[in-house]
Amino acid sequence: MYAKLAFRNIRRSLRDYIIYFVTLTLTAALMYSFLALGLSPDILAMTENMSMLTTGILILSVLIAFMSSFVIGYAVRFMLGQRKKEFAAYELMGMEVKTIRNLFLVENGIIGGGAFLLGALVGTGLSGLLNQVIQNIFEVPHTYRVLFSFRAWGMTLFFFTLMYGFGMFRAASVIRRQKVIDLLYDNQKNEEIGFQSLLRSVLTGLLSIAVMVAGVILLEKGLHIQTNEALLYCGGACLLILVAVYELHRKIPVLLYLLAKRNPQRKYREENLFFLGQIGSRIQSSGRTMAVVTILLTISLTTMFIGLTMGAGYKANMEAYYPYDAGVAIDAPLTKNSMDTVRSFVEKRCKVEDSATYYLYTVPGKSIEALSLSDYNHLRDILGFSSVSISNNEFLVHCDTWNYVDDIQQRLEQQSKITLNGQTLTAAETPILTEPMEQYQMAGTNGYVLVLPDKVASQLPGEKIRLVMKLADGGYPELRSELRQFLNSGEWLPDIQPGQELPEKMTMGITVKAWGVANSLTGFTTLSFCGLYLSIIFIILSCSVLAFEQLSSIDKNRKNYAVIDRLGVSSQKQVALIRKELSTVFFIPLLFPIILTVFLIAGTQLLFGKSFLQEGLVLFYGMVTILLFCAIYLTYFGATMFLFKKVILRPKIR
Amino acid sequence: MSEVLKLEHIQKYYGSKGNVTKAIQDISFSVQEGEFVGIMGASGSGKTTLLNCISTIDMVSAGHIYLNGTDVTEITEKQIAQFRRENLGFVFQDFNLLDTLTISENIALALTINRVPAGDIDGRVREMAGNLNITDILDKYPYQVSGGQKQRCACARAIINQPKLILADEPTGALDSHSSQMLLSAIQSINETLGATILMVTHDAFSASYANRILFLRDGTIFTEIFKGNNSRRTFFEKILDVLTMTGGGRE
Repeated sequence: MYAKLAFRNIRRSLRDYIIYFVTLTLTAALMYSFLALGLSPDILAMTENMSMLTTGILILSVLIAFMSSFVIGYAVRFMLGQRKKEFAAYELMGMEVKTIRNLFLVENGIIGGGAFLLGALVGTGLSGLLNQVIQNIFEVPHTYRVLFSFRAWGMTLFFFTLMYGFGMFRAASVIRRQKVIDLLYDNQKNEEIGFQSLLRSVLTGLLSIAVMVAGVILLEKGLHIQTNEALLYCGGACLLILVAVYELHRKIPVLLYLLAKRNPQRKYREENLFFLGQIGSRIQSSGRTMAVVTILLTISLTTMFIGLTMGAGYKANMEAYYPYDAGVAIDAPLTKNSMDTVRSFVEKRCKVEDSATYYLYTVPGKSIEALSLSDYNHLRDILGFSSVSISNNEFLVHCDTWNYVDDIQQRLEQQSKITLNGQTLTAAETPILTEPMEQYQMAGTNGYVLVLPDKVASQLPGEKIRLVMKLADGGYPELRSELRQFLNSGEWLPDIQPGQELPEKMTMGITVKAWGVANSLTGFTTLSFCGLYLSIIFIILSCSVLAFEQLSSIDKNRKNYAVIDRLGVSSQKQVALIRKELSTVFFIPLLFPIILTVFLIAGTQLLFGKSFLQEGLVLFYGMVTILLFCAIYLTYFGATMFLFKKVILRPKIR
Repeated sequence: MSEVLKLEHIQKYYGSKGNVTKAIQDISFSVQEGEFVGIMGASGSGKTTLLNCISTIDMVSAGHIYLNGTDVTEITEKQIAQFRRENLGFVFQDFNLLDTLTISENIALALTINRVPAGDIDGRVREMAGNLNITDILDKYPYQVSGGQKQRCACARAIINQPKLILADEPTGALDSHSSQMLLSAIQSINETLGATILMVTHDAFSASYANRILFLRDGTIFTEIFKGNNSRRTFFEKILDVLTMTGGGRE
């Protein structure tokens, strides 16, 4: 009988529970997909330190389970509020509190179980996508393949049970404590409204701003300290900023509300009086929650932006840093033969499909180095770019560091001719080429290089020699240390150009793409994925809290809207008021996170934009962060709006 | 005196084929401007249904209701809000005040909805509060005042736009006897001094005795009606009790 009742109750309350169900499902889905990723043997086998990702995701899952349990607490409060009268009726009929509690727990068990199963299913699908993203980052050939792991499934079940169990424990204790009189008459209780005085609110607001400024100063100091003391400064600064954000978000809505109410023209305009009353009540009852949500959203947005930008930024830099599978750079006047033994050494370990040995010629009196056109075209050929041609009295500049391009362009406009060894060269028709060819060590130490006709280049001193190789299957990570060992051992004997001497200190650089991917990209992939995992779940949880805050007072709101309906406010106006009310509640907590994100994007662009070798990368990932955030946020806003409208504007008797 | 409200053969049925409940069978009456009419009847007699139909909250199954010449039954959904704003004032048993607004703001709300210029609002609210003796609680919230004060605030809100008709549904239902007396005196004063037309549903003979005319409903029809005329309120009260005894109602 009770099981039947539980099922019927779920079916009846399905609409009220939809946001709760979706949140649980999404949390389970994200949890499973990320855990499956972190525990996938294929992913873990990609690099030796990929276990970083597993550790990160496991730690975050604990944090997420903890945070989710609070959100479930909110949902439970909403559900209990909706069903007070029903529970009172059960009690009046003689049902024991224990039975009511069990009935509620069974219902929630069914909802939770359903959400978990659906979440695990969606998560399995999602894991395939995440798997593809990772494979794509690591440039491994991939197809869509879901990750099914019993371990991930078990872990998800464990974390889900943990968070859900905590929420249910809270619900059981609330049901046990509630008295039948409260269940019957709670919704008739009056709401108490009382705010601090305007002066006190202004003073607290100003104090919060002062605390925030102190936090920023402390942070600025911390960033300039090289010792461990920096952690103390930064930690203290973050704490001060978060306290200030919390307090400001508690005070700003109160200030705006009090100011709006002080102005009769604004207060008495159209339905503003009603709107202000509604908002005042929301600020009063949900002020703390909205401030906490602000902090969660701030963390979410910054984590997502930093995670995505750092990951993508590093990838962009690495593409340029490692365009060749392997390379050796030696700043010494060696003969090209010196590199033959190096090539042979590599050849013994993996097939060299192509290679180029070339000089970086020194241009007298200039801070730029030069490549001969034939070497340049050979490098282009290795990288799959088409050859270029210039006539004997022309030159061009190759620059793949985008932030130098404008400067070089300007310089070329001012001075389009150069004279080398008595021969004057003019800039070619296309004077600057920008394909990623890596010019830090291999093709030019300054990030740009002059490309000269072979005849002109050969007359310049070749004081730096380079060897680049295209390897079958891209080589392997250990090649780097093997090469280093070989070059430093006595096995390799460099041959010096006639009439030249070895410098006292010979600068040597070895790059192996496979090693770069294995040892550096992993960290950033971990950062990006952990950032994404944490931020998406935090956004979902924040949105759920806001939605439940609204829905838990839906009965009160229905009553209030019924009053203005009878006072002659049209349905359209009521819809507009609902939209205005919900928008305010949903967007107040966005105030600081959005301002901070915009500043963060602008600041990152200003400070680090030039370090990223892909133009517009910061802005692109800034936009991705905002769009992804908006998509989740607006979905929840839309769903809350739909439910709110549906319940409040439920057809009146007429 | 002109006719404010006219009901012609009102019928209201609930349910569907085979299971029809006739809440109102056939009711016709009219109310003149400035009249204070009480509607009495036992539970289920149709008095609240009648009030809901007049107030555009519910629709009639048959018949016509004319308020100041406008047929209420012909009003479209889009016109209802404007019609209510301009013609009706409501007073309910459970006050229907907004907890989120102060007493003064609750009264002002009706004016802002009616697009009264902001500069006029405070003055009008104070004037109305003076009439109903609630000036000293204007800045308080509903939870800070008594039930009687809340109901007087609801009355002030109902009358402040000078509607053609004030509809009161058991206005003293949630009040103690002292507060009820104060409220009824206030309603009577609104009727006598401001000339407001009032239609009040009640099952309480004492409350009804403040009206000038009482319609007694039974099983969805008007069973009888009595006028106060030049009688004292006490005599009128006795008359009401007599009718109630006759109909088998009496004091509930």
